Amino acid sequence: MQNFVEYIENTFQGVADDGTLYAYKRQLLSKMTERANEVTYTGLRDEKVLNDLIISEFPDLEADYKRFYAEYRKKRREKALNRFMIFGSVGLILILIVGFLAVGFLTDMWSPAWLIVVDGILIWVMFLLSVAVRRITDLRRLFHPIARVLLGIIVMCGTVSLFLFLLAALHLSKAWVIFPFGVICIYIADAVYATYTKQKLRIINYLIYIVAASPMLYVMLGGLGIIPWSPGWLIVPLAILLDIVIVICAMANNAKYKYKPEVDAAWKEN
Amino acid sequence: MERKLNAELWDKMHYLFRDYNDRMVHVELHYDFEVDVEALKTVLICFFEKAPVLHSSFKDNHVSPYWIVKPYRIDDVLSVSYPDDVEAAADDFLTQGIDPDSDIQMKVAVFFKDGETTICIIENHMCMDGGDFKYFLKAFCKNYNDYVQNGISPVDLREGSRSYDQVYNDFSKTEQRMARNLYKNVCSKDDHKFPLTPDSIRDRSFIAKRKISAEKLAKVKASGKKHGATVNDMLLTAYFYSLYELANYSPYDSVTISCAIDLRRHIKDVSDEGLTNHTAWMQCNVPERGQNIFQTLQYVMHSSNQFKQDKFMGLYGLPLLKLGYNILPHAASEEIIKIGYSNPLLAMSNIGILEADKLSLNGHEPTDGFMTGAVKYKPFVLLSATTLHNVVTLSMCVRGNDEDKKVVERFFDLMEKNLDALTAE
Repeated sequence: MQNFVEYIENTFQGVADDGTLYAYKRQLLSKMTERANEVTYTGLRDEKVLNDLIISEFPDLEADYKRFYAEYRKKRREKALNRFMIFGSVGLILILIVGFLAVGFLTDMWSPAWLIVVDGILIWVMFLLSVAVRRITDLRRLFHPIARVLLGIIVMCGTVSLFLFLLAALHLSKAWVIFPFGVICIYIADAVYATYTKQKLRIINYLIYIVAASPMLYVMLGGLGIIPWSPGWLIVPLAILLDIVIVICAMANNAKYKYKPEVDAAWKEN
Repeated sequence: MERKLNAELWDKMHYLFRDYNDRMVHVELHYDFEVDVEALKTVLICFFEKAPVLHSSFKDNHVSPYWIVKPYRIDDVLSVSYPDDVEAAADDFLTQGIDPDSDIQMKVAVFFKDGETTICIIENHMCMDGGDFKYFLKAFCKNYNDYVQNGISPVDLREGSRSYDQVYNDFSKTEQRMARNLYKNVCSKDDHKFPLTPDSIRDRSFIAKRKISAEKLAKVKASGKKHGATVNDMLLTAYFYSLYELANYSPYDSVTISCAIDLRRHIKDVSDEGLTNHTAWMQCNVPERGQNIFQTLQYVMHSSNQFKQDKFMGLYGLPLLKLGYNILPHAASEEIIKIGYSNPLLAMSNIGILEADKLSLNGHEPTDGFMTGAVKYKPFVLLSATTLHNVVTLSMCVRGNDEDKKVVERFFDLMEKNLDALTAE
């Protein structure tokens, strides 16, 4: 064990310690000692070989410490964020209620004032879900579908909060167009997520979303009077056309990576 | 806490091969002095610690299999004995199997007799193939020598990824994409079989060997050079020609023999690779026997040269296998892969040269030795070839009976005869 202590101390001679280094050294020493006990159990009798073997398993302590430090800092940040989310939720609800009551009593506008509570909570839920999405994205790919569902819920919450604001605060009669817009946003968010996380076969997502979003876009633009209902419906066949163009481009691009082996032909006839 | 290792693609594939062979790789080396057993143990422990898959148990999890690193005692790995009949003891040792779920995946036996040593090693093919096993042996001997002669701790063994996709790392981005899109089932569809007897529960594993002398090998090389053929082509030609005679195939039949190829040819520097499998099959086909053995040689050369020209030689089945194992749970993907995979009935693995100087222990080169592949279950056969001191050892591991032994011996006779014919000109 003395050898391990010396190895560790020599490596980190002169390195400033803000407490993390000590924690790392402790953890490392216990790992090395544990490994030494495991190897001793196998029947290794040569003490020098044992020491060299264990030390060879930890060849680059400085790089390992950097990783440990980054991980340590990340854990601390996550702990702080967890605390913020727990206490922030309680605090925010109190602040929103106080704000709602204050605005209500001071202005007597109770009707739009309730938006402070509802939109405030929706925005907070969006924040909590976005933290969840980020953490799930760091997990294995297997869990990514959960993140994608949560992302859809985030967009939905945003859409609802915007709809309520436009309807209750601004009294816009065409606020309903926010819902088809929200659906389009869900598709866009998911497509961006698929691209960002390099999901396999994401092109299928794009193709489906383009076609599925086109009626929503048609309803939205038609509802707002930006395009006439007819021939505005052309958006849908145009989306299908766009899909076809994308498929052709993708096939042309893939063809560049098609390898034609020299081996194939000659012996097939046999 | 339990330490787990990822079960790599080739680990799973070799596990799937349990229906076709016993998954063991075997080596036997003879030395004319008594090795230091304590030093051997020390080196082995260090190597087992450097390659933890060697003391791991394979868990056939239906969703995703994995290895669990297990504690072990070196005495479970290495056994020492003083038999009267070393050859019989070595055969007994080499023909045993190691269960994938056992705690160790390699066993070593040291036999002493009359001041000489015979070292036999068997290891689970799921852990590494012949290519890496050869490296393992060379590293083992080097570390043993450094330890015994200079007191240097034997910790110099390659460590790193065991993943199949290391073979793509040295390709350009475009080539990588091309290679990763080679979704092609490259299994041999040939139904020609080696003429062994039907399966029986009385069958026992045996290793049949035949030496090709250094003089004969020199002739084979010279004759090969004259025809522009490699030693591998010459052996393969003799294999084909012998089979036509042994199994009475029609001379007009097209026959395919699968040849093991080392995919490390695609990796420029293997020094940071872990011990693993990087082997695929090349289907060497002759359209007919040919009028004489030299025509067969031309067919063999034509077939193998075409494969050698291919930039992505051996990489064809990999994306398909990867897809097969990725899209479904392991239990289901095994069934799917079994549908598409047909194990070659006739195969050859030229393991290559066992470099005597690199396998020397304490200044003593091995006096004899060979390495061979798994014991195949009938009707599958694999001819292995290794060269030590310019002597080729042909070997065939079969689970069969005395009748099968005679067939294999007859096959070796024909191999020798046909090698003679090839060198007669």
